[in-house]
Amino acid sequence: MMTEARPNDPADLVAAMAAGDSGSPLSEFYALYASTVLALLMKMLGSRAEAEEILQEVFVELWRRAPQYDSSRGSVVAWVVTVARSRALDALRARTRRHGDAQLQFFSQRHGLGTDGGRPDVLVSSTRWHQALRQAFQRLSEDQRSVLELSYFLGMSHGQIAEALNLPVGTVKSRILAGMRALRTMLPIIHRSMRV
Amino acid sequence: MSDEKERAELLAALHAAGAASEEDEQELQALLDADPSLQGVVRDFQDSIAALASSFEPLETSSKTLGQIQKKIAREKGGLLGTLRRWFSKS
Repeated sequence: MMTEARPNDPADLVAAMAAGDSGSPLSEFYALYASTVLALLMKMLGSRAEAEEILQEVFVELWRRAPQYDSSRGSVVAWVVTVARSRALDALRARTRRHGDAQLQFFSQRHGLGTDGGRPDVLVSSTRWHQALRQAFQRLSEDQRSVLELSYFLGMSHGQIAEALNLPVGTVKSRILAGMRALRTMLPIIHRSMRV
Repeated sequence: MSDEKERAELLAALHAAGAASEEDEQELQALLDADPSLQGVVRDFQDSIAALASSFEPLETSSKTLGQIQKKIAREKGGLLGTLRRWFSKS
């Protein structure tokens, strides 16, 4: 018997997908996360066509890996974002192999956490969740934001960041920890907005 | 906070931020094995960074994309992966 998911309950949708249902649960799951994943992929890749292509890969992989989702290790959105980030980093690494190490400059020109980047293709109206989060992330210092951008969105290790920014490794680690602690203080806002 | 917990917090932050080296990951895993309650620290950091990553202005997807995803999955379900998935879900 197929698991029947309650509408908009992400964990139940994942459970239904894990049972092999690629119909309504997958459609609902896609409706919940696709626009957010596409935005992340666009930020990381900068190309709409490539982001749309990777978006498909991400959702096929999420469906494939649904049986392994473990709620004790993180929220559904964290799982979704982790898979999306991983596929985007694969694409960035493939691009680096093809075109050399120009991605750092490309990234820094285009990125602006806490803003919409002035993109003309922002089509979905901003939710309260996104507005609250962007305001919260403005609280990160520039130093914290830059190391987190390089590590999370470009996949650079602390050693690589230290080299790129000409900083001691210990300073990079301290900034990452301070940034992550600052983000953690925003968890109540995050959890509250997720319930909206 | 004990030195061990401080060390675990640093490693969890590096892990969640995607900046951990292989040695860091191994050390974190050893600490988690010794004290599973530290998983909560990792989870909080992961939820936090996931929120950061999902804070960008959402973009509308193409109306065709979901159909293309479902077609790919249908092909997988009919192939070897689908057979393995059914087999593993029973075991």
